[in-house]
Amino acid sequence: MITRTLTIIGFAALISAMLALEFVARRGSPRIPTAGQWLGYLMRSRAGRAVILLGWWWLGWHYFAR
Amino acid sequence: MTVEETREPGQPVTPRWPVTVRWPGGSRRPVLGTLAVLGLAGYAWVASGLPPFSGRALAGVLIPGAALGLIGYGRPPDRIPAPDRIGVTGFSYWAICVAALLEWEASAFRDNSRPWHPSLTALIDPLIQPHPVRSVAFLAWLLAGWALIRR
Repeated sequence: MITRTLTIIGFAALISAMLALEFVARRGSPRIPTAGQWLGYLMRSRAGRAVILLGWWWLGWHYFAR
Repeated sequence: MTVEETREPGQPVTPRWPVTVRWPGGSRRPVLGTLAVLGLAGYAWVASGLPPFSGRALAGVLIPGAALGLIGYGRPPDRIPAPDRIGVTGFSYWAICVAALLEWEASAFRDNSRPWHPSLTALIDPLIQPHPVRSVAFLAWLLAGWALIRR
């Protein structure tokens, strides 16, 4: 079961890293964008917008319809 | 060009960042916004209680997806202006985290999400099984969709 623990630690570490990035960005770091900022940047084009929205919809389908 | 340079005389300065989050309906109409969130919460409660792998559950996520798609492309709300550019270094931190998370998930998926190597889905699913938790998660998904539409 040590591999299960390692897998969970890996997920927790990555999600924690993203939360830390968001926290640092919202504290006013000029170098690190918030998730909203980089998502907004990627969504400037029509194709980027479609991909991000499809990703959002896929998450809903994956967790709530299956 | 900065915000200050485009400002009309007498017009208050509107900072572009940090961004404030608005509820659906906009903060200028708080009653409508509150009603919209309550409506979404009701929808989330109903839709999250539908049996998985059913046509009704599929419709439960198709309807908000189609609605937001129509709103986004037909009558988009006031959008939060996107930055003209973002730093490569700062963005790379995000990209590395997202890519690593996808790779970690893909490796678990490749192993058929066995108990010794579970996927994120296998870990999250039991947590969102209770109906109240599931409906809150569904509402968060709906609000995230609305936040994306405003980008």
